[in-house]
Amino acid sequence: MTAKRHLNEPLSALALEQTRRQFFRRGAGLSVAPMALASLLDQDGRVFGEEAESVMQTHHRPRAKSVIFLHMIGGPSQIDLFDPKPEVIRRDGDTLPESLQKKLTFAQIQEKQPRLMGSPWKFSQHGECGATVSELMPHIASIVDDVSFVRTVKTDDTNHMFAELMLNTGWRRFGRPSIGSWVVYGLRSESQQLPAFMVLRSGMRPRSKSANYGNGFLPSKYQGTPLRSSGDPILNLASPPGFTEARQRQSVDAINALNRIRYEQTKDDEIAARIVSYELAFRMQSAATEWLDLKSETPGTFKQYGIDDAARPSFARNCLLARRLVERGVRFVQLFHGDWDHHSAIKAGLPSQCGLTDQASAALVRDLAQRGLLDDTLVVWGGELGRGAVAQVSDKPNVAVGRDHQIEAFTMWFAGGGARGGQTIGKTNDFGCLPETEPWHVYDLQATILHLLGLDHTKLTYRYQGRDFRLTDVHGNVKHELFA
Amino acid sequence: MFRLTRIYLSLAIWGACWAALRADDGNTPTASAKVDYRKHIAPLLSKHCFRCHGEKSQEGGLRLDVRQRALTGGDSGLAIQPGNSKQSAMIARVASNDPEVRMPPEGARLLPAEVELLKRWIDQGAKGIPDGRPSSSNHWAFQSIKTPAIPDVADSNWCSNAIDRFVLAKLENEGIKPSPSASPRTLVRRLYLDLIGLPPTWRQIESFMNDESADAYERLVDKLLASAHYGERWGRHWLDLARHADSGGYEADMPRETWAYRDYVINAFNSDMPFDRFVVEQLGGDLLPIPTMAQRIATGFHCNAMYDPGVRFESVIYQVNTTGTVFLGLTVGCAQCHTHKTDPITQREFYGLYGFFNNAIMMPMDLATGKPAIPPTEKTKVQPPSSLIMKYTAHPTHIFLRGDPAQPGEQVAPGFPAELDWQPAKSWWGELDGSPSRSVKNRLDLARWIVSDKNPLTDRVTVNRIWQRFFGLGLVSTEDDFGVQTPPPSHPELLDWLAREFRRKHLSFKSLHRLIVTSSTYRQVSVTRSDLSDIDPGNRFLARQRRLRLEGEIVRDVWMYTGDLLSEKMGGPSVFPWQPESVLENRATPAKWIESKGENRYRRGLYTWFWRLTPHPHFPLLDGPDAVTACTRRGRSNVPVQALTLLNDPTFMECARKLATLVVAMPSATDRQRLDFLYHRCLGRDPISWEIAVLKKVISDQRRRLATSPKQAEAISDGHESPAEHAVWVIICRAIMNTDEFITRE
Repeated sequence: MTAKRHLNEPLSALALEQTRRQFFRRGAGLSVAPMALASLLDQDGRVFGEEAESVMQTHHRPRAKSVIFLHMIGGPSQIDLFDPKPEVIRRDGDTLPESLQKKLTFAQIQEKQPRLMGSPWKFSQHGECGATVSELMPHIASIVDDVSFVRTVKTDDTNHMFAELMLNTGWRRFGRPSIGSWVVYGLRSESQQLPAFMVLRSGMRPRSKSANYGNGFLPSKYQGTPLRSSGDPILNLASPPGFTEARQRQSVDAINALNRIRYEQTKDDEIAARIVSYELAFRMQSAATEWLDLKSETPGTFKQYGIDDAARPSFARNCLLARRLVERGVRFVQLFHGDWDHHSAIKAGLPSQCGLTDQASAALVRDLAQRGLLDDTLVVWGGELGRGAVAQVSDKPNVAVGRDHQIEAFTMWFAGGGARGGQTIGKTNDFGCLPETEPWHVYDLQATILHLLGLDHTKLTYRYQGRDFRLTDVHGNVKHELFA
Repeated sequence: MFRLTRIYLSLAIWGACWAALRADDGNTPTASAKVDYRKHIAPLLSKHCFRCHGEKSQEGGLRLDVRQRALTGGDSGLAIQPGNSKQSAMIARVASNDPEVRMPPEGARLLPAEVELLKRWIDQGAKGIPDGRPSSSNHWAFQSIKTPAIPDVADSNWCSNAIDRFVLAKLENEGIKPSPSASPRTLVRRLYLDLIGLPPTWRQIESFMNDESADAYERLVDKLLASAHYGERWGRHWLDLARHADSGGYEADMPRETWAYRDYVINAFNSDMPFDRFVVEQLGGDLLPIPTMAQRIATGFHCNAMYDPGVRFESVIYQVNTTGTVFLGLTVGCAQCHTHKTDPITQREFYGLYGFFNNAIMMPMDLATGKPAIPPTEKTKVQPPSSLIMKYTAHPTHIFLRGDPAQPGEQVAPGFPAELDWQPAKSWWGELDGSPSRSVKNRLDLARWIVSDKNPLTDRVTVNRIWQRFFGLGLVSTEDDFGVQTPPPSHPELLDWLAREFRRKHLSFKSLHRLIVTSSTYRQVSVTRSDLSDIDPGNRFLARQRRLRLEGEIVRDVWMYTGDLLSEKMGGPSVFPWQPESVLENRATPAKWIESKGENRYRRGLYTWFWRLTPHPHFPLLDGPDAVTACTRRGRSNVPVQALTLLNDPTFMECARKLATLVVAMPSATDRQRLDFLYHRCLGRDPISWEIAVLKKVISDQRRRLATSPKQAEAISDGHESPAEHAVWVIICRAIMNTDEFITRE
């Protein structure tokens, strides 16, 4: 088998094919009577699962092993957080120059001459690098030497639903695999106990819902496993009453043995996937219970993340859980937190969202660094779009001013995983609404994330309906400036 | 000698050409025959060129998918010189041996045969490239449906009906043999699960096995089509399209009463209501001259749209988009913001469709009086049953600039897209000439337009979706999108023949189902064939059946039915079976879940109350629809959290426990006989020796262990009088019910 073929094939299918061959060599057909009933039932019965998980192939030397993607749903206002514009403050209340207005795509503003609104929050420089951060993000301000800010991210759609899909699947409509699915399709998991791609949510759900972490046309085992955002994060982790671990083990082994018999009769890969699924489910029962049990964390850690009540779901708790996931070899963890869509009342809404997320986001980076995990873990923070420099004024009474969407330039940040700390990449114009340096299209961002993981975005393909698809379609450039 | 070499060479080229074409559709133009753009060239360009020279990207300024652009060439001049392939840069580039020059720069190069085809196409004048927007002149789905000739086949013995001739003709062309028929036991289980969504009992299987009459299979099909459960099974498929739910969605997610609509759908399928009547009633039942109660309830179809008073326009957009997806197989929603070159509908026309639904409101109707339901007051705490229906109310419709309702543009009247221009059906509901002279078109006109036999889309889309339910994939694989950017049907003639046959049989679903399930194509075994794994991994040629995991509701129904718990009661208000308490936490508006009592705890899954924001966890877990947009195809995911639920969830444990009670109640039976009973009941077959060996080992181990662990036995058995033995069988039942086969239609 050529290397090229190797890369173009779903790796797990390959692994299953190898397993299947071994299975037949060993068994030479189940009709050979008591061949190895023991092997069907005991350790051998688990081989199916393990081998499938162990294949890993990169296109070049990876800098990161895992990703924690903090998706801030709704579009945080970068002009109030990370991209200060003194000129806008100076000209507060003036109309936006008409030449610029023509180049912008508003989502909601209908005024002919929208007026500039300077940020009411103070900015100052931090760290050795002197990065400028707003007073709303004091904790992120304290980690700037580990952070790369990119101020010129751009996307294609002003609609949240489609901008979310664009960011997470590289396509403005439903049906494509998410970036997490692509990553685990390319790299599989390092964990034998937990799903390779896990999703945690707090606050508002993303508007495109599960499509943001769906497998699209990739095999279903690559989809993100979402945790429930209320109540128990995973239902049915405990075996039913009376089922000891040994009894559950024997039950799952029996189920998998029966499934293997059926697999041999039908050769249906769905059965192979189900065997992997049941094996992983069994392992998750103890692994996920252990992972979700925060008792082993110190009060100092809770304080660092700002977790008051470890039993209550929150963004902060999800950050801590995310760290625990990458510690356990989970490849791609995506946190969704909303809502940052401050069309109105931004003066109340934005500090409130920052209050819910600033401390924990910074704590996550610092905690990873303290544990020696930051070098291997890429943390990405950002929304599917940004917000503009002009005020969005409602015609309804008693509705305070906000900001409309901006897709031409907004800020995201990166930490760890090979991203160089202490730098600010890209420059926007005096009104923060257009890039003055080479923009980072969302495709570039995706290409760069894959690159850090050792994957070439032009080579990570999957053949579907007669065509080789990739996350970045026909676009995307790796932005070497992030890590060079 | 030289001559001979040339002959060999050209033979080799044509061999390759034949192979290349075979992969597309098997139509080989002979050397002198005309090359057809749509059939031969478009797939080739799409495969090799459009990614960089198509709609989305025009490398070097060259765009090849639109006539005018393709013929004007790119930055480096003309690419195509019609009539002169030698002068056409396109040919020089694709045929070049220089990797710096050759197109495409990456990926597989064109086969010599493909180059040859391109040359001939250019020499013949490079005809057929579509100009701009798709229309009946350039896209198959917009062309009228013809009645294709039923092809001849060599092995006519294999064919049960015309479907098989279309399928076999293609297989024979490919040199592939169809698969043999599945075993009778498998077929019975397949039919039961497909047609009524419940497995057959062992007695039902045996009675079929013992029926030696020639038409035993056909009579079984008719029996199942006549079962009341048929309406539940196929009604649920329709409810997926209808986005049916018991609450309004959005953050508020207020409850609403729509079960009468759900029952209307079940009844419509059970009474085999013709599809055109079904459509007319659902789109415009309230506008019929003297609408019956049922016809008004039918308009609940579009009241299923998510609704929030603050964003009414979004509901209307959902209604337009659903209409496009369900009836036309078109993603009209893209035109909400602006006109797209590849869509057959302009932005203005989108708002023409919008106008039909904008001229309506949703309101609850009292099911007893047929009058508007009165909201409950302090005095009338118990509200009489009601159902959401549509009512005509005029609202002006404006184009929303960039799709934004805050930017109203020009006013438009309800109307149909110009590219989808056909004669609406005549009405049969009492209007004199079938072309009512309303000044403003209404939803009845829309319905007549949709059910017209001149409409090339709706019948194709409908039969394709039905086909997909039986084979896992439609003849058109993008069942929700028949637009230009989608792959052509695998069997275009069969699709059209089915659409015509559906018409000919008065749009009867039962006739269409009967036709499909009595075909030899449907009856093939579902075993994966190694000889096809490279040439046809997706089973597009239909040389076998496919194993399909059952839908979420059906998985649950099969567990409960096998576990002797399922209530077969039909219809009525939605029910509240057990669910974990945490499901309803963290809602913006609180929701109630007062657990149902008695048999309502064990009703079929489609009767479970559906909160859009917080549905019962079993359904989303097993790929149930979210009821936001029309669901034309469910996923079949296969993830560990599903295994956790089927292994550990109290509902499923309860089924295993009850089934074990039946096992231990068998008087003086051996373990082997008990295992036989379980295999018969769960899987409709005898166990094989390996399965018996696996399970007997578990039985003996667990008997030994549970004998000394009475507390564990009691916990597993939960109240049975002989807990140790019962617990052993609970473990066995749970294992068999967790096999892939148990939740799969083989």
